Amino acid sequence: MSFEMIFGAWVAAGLTLFILTFLYQDNPLFKLAEHLYVGVSVGYAIVKTYDTVVIRLIYEPMVTQGDWSLLIPLAIGALMLTRYVPKAAWMSRIAFAFVVGIGSGLAIPRVISSYILKQIEDTVRPLVSLAADGGATFTYDLLNPASNLNAIVLLIGVVSVLFYFFFSIEHTGPGRAVARTGIIFLMIAFGAAFGYTVMARMSLLIGRLTDLIDYAKPQYGWATYWLAALTIATLIALRWRHKETEPPA
Amino acid sequence: MTFAERMLRIDRRIIFLVIGLCTLIPLLYPVGLAIKISPEVRSVYDYIESLPEGSVFLLSLDFDPASKPELYPQAVALLHHAFKKNLRVIGMTLWLPGTGMASEVVTRVARVEGKVNGKDFVFLGWSPGGSSVIINMGQDLYKAFPTDYNNQPTKDLDVLKDVQSLRDVTYVISLAAGSTGIETWYVFGKDKYKFELGGGCTGVIAPGLYPLLRSGQINGLIGGLRGAAEYEVLIGKKGRAVAGMDAQSATHFAIILLVILCNTFYLLIRTPRDKAAPGQH
Repeated sequence: MSFEMIFGAWVAAGLTLFILTFLYQDNPLFKLAEHLYVGVSVGYAIVKTYDTVVIRLIYEPMVTQGDWSLLIPLAIGALMLTRYVPKAAWMSRIAFAFVVGIGSGLAIPRVISSYILKQIEDTVRPLVSLAADGGATFTYDLLNPASNLNAIVLLIGVVSVLFYFFFSIEHTGPGRAVARTGIIFLMIAFGAAFGYTVMARMSLLIGRLTDLIDYAKPQYGWATYWLAALTIATLIALRWRHKETEPPA
Repeated sequence: MTFAERMLRIDRRIIFLVIGLCTLIPLLYPVGLAIKISPEVRSVYDYIESLPEGSVFLLSLDFDPASKPELYPQAVALLHHAFKKNLRVIGMTLWLPGTGMASEVVTRVARVEGKVNGKDFVFLGWSPGGSSVIINMGQDLYKAFPTDYNNQPTKDLDVLKDVQSLRDVTYVISLAAGSTGIETWYVFGKDKYKFELGGGCTGVIAPGLYPLLRSGQINGLIGGLRGAAEYEVLIGKKGRAVAGMDAQSATHFAIILLVILCNTFYLLIRTPRDKAAPGQH
């Protein structure tokens, strides 16, 4: 195994353990890892953006291929930097207006079509399906997305949740029952979202622990064991030092 | 102080420890619990199975290293499947921080499957703009990406022969960790350029994508680590996702147990006054 792989494993195992120490309490090891993460992420983003945008998409086409039309977007983009010069800051509005105008023009029709019209089309499904021979079918199967029973559940859910958020009339009498039904549907949706979130967070923990188990192997120089020992020793030392510097009660 | 009150004031670090052990022990000593394949994951698998050799498959790895445990196994499984089917694979990303990782996974799996860069696959890298990149690719792929990640001119690549724009791509899958991902590919890509679209996502955003699945806007969805495990089972190549499913089940069991216990203790310590005026805390 190459030196880079082993070094990478030690760095990854160390930073993972440092981050996990936050579960015990806030401490300098956690802060070190946190600041490194932020710094490296920003540094990486700056370097990649410079390489991709400035060099590959602007400098090379202009200088090597003579595509000087790129000066137009470059000039519009450069106007954003005028925000740092108070007297010329108004010029940045031209660039922002360009970005907002293009963005809205592109997004509004597409988003209305994809999120609103298409979803309404899917929600308003016929409760009775017509079979190929002309007869009517009515299937009851909650596990089948095309079932009519699902269409009824969907209809009740959408109507009751929309009614729950309709505040112009008081939720009393039959309205209270509908709003309550809406709350039940909302709670089910929140429960599903929470369940998926738990699964996602546990997956992240599984990912880190799997790596720590891998890095505990001899080919990585037992990185996890050594670094775990170092982390625990540092936490004990920090605790001991904190106790010594603590003023007497 | 009653037992229930003591339990409700328990040091939360004990709960962290319990969850940690529930994750670690199954990883060290796997049981091999059964994994049932869901229809949404099977749809993606079946669609790739149905593609003829040489079809153009675009995998957009729209995530950063923070979502690696969930989406990296999905990428590995999908790439193995696509290369096994001899599809022409185009890799790319809309997420700048994930560029290096995306390049690594595409190149590594291609090497394992004996595929050649430029002939069987290409990694285009990242280009700024998000939705604008997709629109640009829909008009002219070579203007959006004049060179690939290794700075080779894309016009000269065999893998992109007869591919001018997204209209020539057969199947697109976006592995997404956020809003710039599956939804962006649908809104600015599939809806306009009419290719088939599938998705893979983190567990956190999966519930929000089910409406797209139900309405047919995407033809399949691989959700979280569980989805990755299902896909690994389907292609018969069990990897990190399958290995993590025992731990996933154990932690879920522990959390369900903790929720039940907490609620039981809470109900036990409720005083008659609390019962008379609920929600006053």
